[in-house]
Parts: sequence; structure tokens; C-alpha cells
Amino acid sequence: MAFIPSRIKKHDTNPGKVKLNLTSMMDMFTIILVFLLKTYSTEGMLIQPSEYLTLPKSNIEQSPEVALDLVISKEWIMVNHEPVIKTAEVEQLNSFIIPSLQEKLNVYAREAKRMEELYGTKFSGKVTIQGDRSIAYKLLVKVMATCGKSSYPNMRLVVYRIGD
Amino acid sequence: MAFRPSFRRTTAGEDIEPNLTPVMNLMVVLIPLLLSSAQWIKIGVIELNLPPAVGTKTVVGAAPKETEKKLDLAVTITDRGFYLSSSQAILKSSENNGPTIPNLADGSYDYDALANKLLEIKQSATGRYSDTERIVIQAEPDINYQVLVSTMDSSRKIVVDGREVILFPDVSLAAGVI
Repeated sequence: MAFIPSRIKKHDTNPGKVKLNLTSMMDMFTIILVFLLKTYSTEGMLIQPSEYLTLPKSNIEQSPEVALDLVISKEWIMVNHEPVIKTAEVEQLNSFIIPSLQEKLNVYAREAKRMEELYGTKFSGKVTIQGDRSIAYKLLVKVMATCGKSSYPNMRLVVYRIGD
Repeated sequence: MAFRPSFRRTTAGEDIEPNLTPVMNLMVVLIPLLLSSAQWIKIGVIELNLPPAVGTKTVVGAAPKETEKKLDLAVTITDRGFYLSSSQAILKSSENNGPTIPNLADGSYDYDALANKLLEIKQSATGRYSDTERIVIQAEPDINYQVLVSTMDSSRKIVVDGREVILFPDVSLAAGVI
């Protein structure tokens, strides 16, 4: 049996304004906004982690700064996103100095020193080293020794910060 | 005589809703903006400064001056555990010739024990030696980078009773001659 509308409703042609209840949505937005403002960092990403590697984790609190970017992935060693030498070749190498990497770093150092003369941007010899967490110690030491010999003695090892 | 306020007026209070549309507009703009600029992973750096122009065979800095008493603390990472040594002695473990801090039973490194041992050394060395901030970390050639970083973490500081104690934050790396 069909539902018979009541007599009052039958003639109710104007059901009144239908209002959208926005209060709960506002609540949600406010929470999201506060959360995002809290995580917001004015520094931005100074170091773009390379996509070819997984950085190690550390509990250090020091923040990164802008410097020459050196990446040691499982396959390649890259300076400023340009591949320089294969990691496997470096492991075969019988000395602490990696010649092709040293050459590349010297090019950058010369460029930076020229900039220092021309524009007064200080050359601090800083380099950030992004290493995959599974690379061997001997490889890291070779790269660091090469950096030290190629006027980049101030090294920063890039890590994921955990804990805080 | 004053009029009595009408009952009808007071009871039929109209619902006044604030106009939320401008606020919504603001939210719709702000949230994508903040979402796109949010930093989801935090990145840190470990500083390692070498004295410029080091020799070929050493990564560690210049020869220490002999005028002051130096501790020369060193941690050696091997695949069996940590060896601790200083200018005075090499710390022995309970086993003969084993590492100072052997690995845990499941083969992982015992970072907590290392930090506690270093705290002990720090407490007894403070005031007696001039280099109680420095530590040399060396490792076997095939030691993993993550292990090295974790070792640096344990040698940097330790949390005792909710308080951070700085151990040896000035890290140098050393390697053997190839």
C-alpha cells in the first residue's frame, strides 16, 4: 500500500530554504590548517634528496645548508646531478684519490673561486655528500679523501632526521 | 506604561548563521598551498670538517701536539663489534681478544652499550685530557654506511634520565693504507 501524504504536506509547495551544514567541514579544515601551519617550514627544501638512493637515518639536529651536491648511489657517483664515475670502478681503484672525481671537483672549485673574485660570493669549500645507506666504508672514505684533496674539506653527510 | 514584550517575538528566535563562504574560499586556497610546500621528510646533516690539504694516506688531521695529554679515543667498527682504544690502552672485553662491545646475539650492533661505555670514558676523562670532544671512528672496508652513521649517533650524545649528555661530537674518520 502506497504511503499517503498527510493533509498538511500535500499542499506544502514551499519546503523552505535547504541549507548546507558547513560546520563540520569547517572543523575539519581548521584542524588540517593548524596541522599544516605547524609542519610548515620557511626554509624550504635546501637539499633535494636524490631519487636513486635511500639516505641513512640519524638523530642529529643540524639543518642542511646549500652546498655542492655530491651523490653516491649504488650505481654512480654524481656531482650536481651529472654522473662522474661508476661506483663499481671506484671500488676497484687502488688509491684514495678518484681521478675523474677530483677533476670534476676542481672544475667546480675553480668556478666557485672565480665567482668569489668577481661577485664576492664566499667560497667555503662545503660539499654535501648524499650516500646510499648500504654503501661500504671504503667507498665513502675514498670519496671523502678526494673531496679533501680537491679544495672541498668541509663535508656534510646528508641523513634523514628521525626522533625529534 | 511600557509595553509587555510579545511572547511570539522571543520564542521564535530566528537562526542566524554567519556567512561562511569567504572563510571556505580562504581554506580552499590555503590548504593546497600549505600542502604543496610542506616538508614531509626532515633532512639533517652531519658535519665533518677536515683541515684543508690533508695527506694522501690519512683522512685524519695533523699530528697531535705532544704538549698536552691526549686521550686519542678511537672506535673501530668490525663485523663482530666495536673495539675501543685510546692512547692509554685498548679496552678488552670479557672474552679474550673479542671486541670491546661485541654484537648482540642476532648479529646487530650494540649501540646502547657503546654509548654507555663512551659515557663512562667521558666521565673519567673529563678534566684529565684536553681532547674530550674528539673521537676517531675507523671501520673495516666493508662496513655499511648506516652502521657508520649510527655509530656517530651513539658517540655524539646519550640521553641519561631524560637529560642529554654530550659525549664526543667532534668526529674524524680514519682509514688504513690501501
